[in-house]
Amino acid sequence: MSTFIETMLGAAAGSVVTVEPDYIVINDGGCHAAVDDIAAVAAPEKVLVIYDHDVPTGRPEAAAVLRKNLAFAEKFGCRYIQAEGIGYQYMVNEVVKAGDIIIVGGLHSSIYGAVGALGINVSIPELARVTETGRYSVVVPETKYATLAGNLPAGVSVMDAALAFLQMAGDLKKTAVEFYCPTLDQHQKQVLCSMACITGAYTAGITLEEPAEALHLDLSQVTPMVMMPCESAAAQAQAAICERAGLAGMELQAGQIGGYTGGTIEELRKAAAYLEGKELALGFRLTVCPATSRDYIQAMEEGIITRFIDYGAQISAAGDHSIVIQGAGAMGPKERLITTGLYTFAGAMGCEDAEVYTASAESVMAASVSKRI
Amino acid sequence: MDKKFSGKIWKFGDDIDTDTIIPGKRGTIPTIEEMKKYAFELLKPEFGSTVQAGDILVAGTNFGCGSSREQAATVLSYNGVRCIIAKSYARIFFRNAFNSGILLLQCDGIQEVCAGGDIVTVDVDGQTVSVGGKSFPVGVIPENLFHIVANGGLIEDTKKRIAEGLVKLEVQPLTMEQCRKPGYTMAEKLLKKNAGKEHVEPGDIVITKPDMFMIHDIYTTYLVDTMNKIGADVIDDPDKVTIIWDHCMPTAVAKNDSAHYDAGLELAQRYGIKKLHIGEGICHSIMHEARYAKPGEIATATDSHTTTYGGAGNFCSGIGTAEMAAALITGELWFKVPEAIKIVLNGHLPDGIMSKDVILKILGDIKADGGQYKSLEFTGEAAHEMSMDQRFTVANMALEAGAKCGLFEVDEKTAQYYDMPLSEIDWVCIDEEAKYEKVLTYHVNELEPQLSCPQGVDNVHPIQEVLGTRMDEVYLGSCTNGSLEDMAIAAKILAGKKVAKGLRFIVVPATNRVFREAIRLGYIKTFIEAGGVISHPCCGLCCGMPYGLMTDDERILSTANRNFIGRQGTQKTLSYLCSPAVAAATAITGAVTDPRDLL
Repeated sequence: MSTFIETMLGAAAGSVVTVEPDYIVINDGGCHAAVDDIAAVAAPEKVLVIYDHDVPTGRPEAAAVLRKNLAFAEKFGCRYIQAEGIGYQYMVNEVVKAGDIIIVGGLHSSIYGAVGALGINVSIPELARVTETGRYSVVVPETKYATLAGNLPAGVSVMDAALAFLQMAGDLKKTAVEFYCPTLDQHQKQVLCSMACITGAYTAGITLEEPAEALHLDLSQVTPMVMMPCESAAAQAQAAICERAGLAGMELQAGQIGGYTGGTIEELRKAAAYLEGKELALGFRLTVCPATSRDYIQAMEEGIITRFIDYGAQISAAGDHSIVIQGAGAMGPKERLITTGLYTFAGAMGCEDAEVYTASAESVMAASVSKRI
Repeated sequence: MDKKFSGKIWKFGDDIDTDTIIPGKRGTIPTIEEMKKYAFELLKPEFGSTVQAGDILVAGTNFGCGSSREQAATVLSYNGVRCIIAKSYARIFFRNAFNSGILLLQCDGIQEVCAGGDIVTVDVDGQTVSVGGKSFPVGVIPENLFHIVANGGLIEDTKKRIAEGLVKLEVQPLTMEQCRKPGYTMAEKLLKKNAGKEHVEPGDIVITKPDMFMIHDIYTTYLVDTMNKIGADVIDDPDKVTIIWDHCMPTAVAKNDSAHYDAGLELAQRYGIKKLHIGEGICHSIMHEARYAKPGEIATATDSHTTTYGGAGNFCSGIGTAEMAAALITGELWFKVPEAIKIVLNGHLPDGIMSKDVILKILGDIKADGGQYKSLEFTGEAAHEMSMDQRFTVANMALEAGAKCGLFEVDEKTAQYYDMPLSEIDWVCIDEEAKYEKVLTYHVNELEPQLSCPQGVDNVHPIQEVLGTRMDEVYLGSCTNGSLEDMAIAAKILAGKKVAKGLRFIVVPATNRVFREAIRLGYIKTFIEAGGVISHPCCGLCCGMPYGLMTDDERILSTANRNFIGRQGTQKTLSYLCSPAVAAATAITGAVTDPRDLL
């Protein structure tokens, strides 16, 4: 039986394969650097240029990036997408189908595995090369299976499960991960897959058949987890993951829910349900970032945005706000943020000496009441 | 300081600006003691080394114009200058100078008969200045203001008053009949009512007891510092004070904003201030929305666009941090009674023409200094036809003409907005017998959409001259044009349409209340479906915060109030100002578009 990655790439593990991806995504986050190196575009209809990171622009330099990306898209006839929210989630909602191969310069491209598509994270030079040639070559990686069985306890999120899995699995060393997780819903599978590569996996997918040999995580035993601050972006894969209970009582200044891990309609619903009858702690700043325009509109129609406003939250523009150098939600000197964003390196959310802790939307909302973990 | 004193004259001409007093390049010298020797270095290089304590400056019109640089006053004070006599003063310098301990006298005539080196004698009580045997009248200086000067400035004066056991000014309120007495401008009526004076006239200085004080987060850190310097444990009346977090909330500039946030909380906690608005929208919009700034009353705040509530017949003007500190402690604030310009708006605003177009047209006509320390007072059927939100837009931007305030007559709309009986506030109206410096009359039926072009608010052109100019970004928001009505007209134009490819359209409702209503009415959905980006209510890009900052050679069309160089991006970003209707129409096409073609 072929693994997910073998099926997608059409060859057995260990063989060299060249494929023509269905989509190539270039955004204003890190990927825009590739634009500087692209002289031609092999298949413009497959290239999507997405403005989803610095929304609205927090620095003149960010505006210059947008100009560059827009000019690139116009020159080569690529699709230019803006104001739709975070690119990964937009692609999942609106573009990608099972069987597609998507090339992205981003750590969370494995999100597409949740819908049966293959997301591959490549370096900037590789992104430029694939855009120019329309081809991508790789040695098909080995696969590791993981079984996530049982049901999550109340107040525990799939994010906690994903963090617990990463803690358990350690460095996944460029293998493809396949999850057997029949109790998780589609949104939960997306969160799980999107986070699977944080510690070094190549990509992730979902299998519907229980694997014979697998890492095992009992979901009913998962407790709230936290990914700790780390020194630099390069050290993000080594950021420590630990149980939330170990940090209990730590004072915080702000919280943020957003991205595909906290800003989707499913997460916003949970967060809004949590705040019922509660009061935002004085001195705690809560930022809510709907993942996409679709999520934003849906949340407005369900009255969720208004409930957040009444609670005292700040509603950010739909988009990816997991790295904010300057813009809504930036943290000051020595402040501490708890966020559903997946980057905890120094400077990811403002000041170098601000500390960023990744946790579930439930953990962020709980902190908003007490100003503490 | 004696009430009668003499000093040697240093003579200056008209329009001595703050850069002439102390060049901008000297502004970073860390201490005033070191800086003071560079005073007038370009105009009178000998000044810094030869000026003596007690010397007096005599100048022409508009002394101290230019930037709001407080050092222009403090270097003179540190050089021992205790008195300036001029034909007129720039608004901000006037306040800064008094608060730095310099007596400013307004006099027209002495300039023609004196020369540098002459000795002038000032008689404060006698209200005269004399030179070479000739006397000239000057305005009255109230006792409290004289004490500020005599004690060496506002901070020292306040410290002294606290040390002596603060004696509060007793004010006998005017009766309704006295309020209604004809012959006064609206500014005069509002000031004399609050100050308990039966009669005031332009140039008089009155001590008021403002009904409401607003502190916004930009100045919380400096205010904490000043309160510490003064050593104040209590303030006059915490119930009259609100703190609003809007410029730096959401925190966006990493190194700075959290300090402003924390300092606001510290002020609230230390002084028992309960009216807190954290991240609920723009201070000026909240001031009228929460009914803090009421018709017939006086409000003040640490921000220049405090003129906004003049739209409801409230006398309101911005002040500096030191003044706010002193005013919070004493409950008192002095104002010079301004001259007034009556602006008559005849006719009816046509569809697609908004009150923003009216005030831009006026700004283009009278220019950025055309209302210098004046009260702009609006009347006429078009003024009364304007909604409250439209009036607030006009009053907000009166400041851009240098005005002290921009006042609308109170009418049934005002009374309804504030849920007050009209009979209590209808005295805030134009009197035919009142003395106006001039009267400007506009027929708004003929008005076209107006745009303020790079780089100056008063570089105003009718839309015909700007049509088709490509834009990279369109911004709908600010205390000028972030109201529900502004959202409504933009949503009407954008319904079912898409924003031009690559153009960034950013919407920032002025307050949470506007935001909620705009959600309820579907406007926000319309903007998002059209391709707009929504940010939480705050001052945002209007004050240059990171909500759409732009790069070189990009153009922005904004509904905000200032297009100063570099404000919305780099030195080479080009900023245009317009009404929400023009903004929405332009967002669709990507180039300046007349909204009347789309309505």
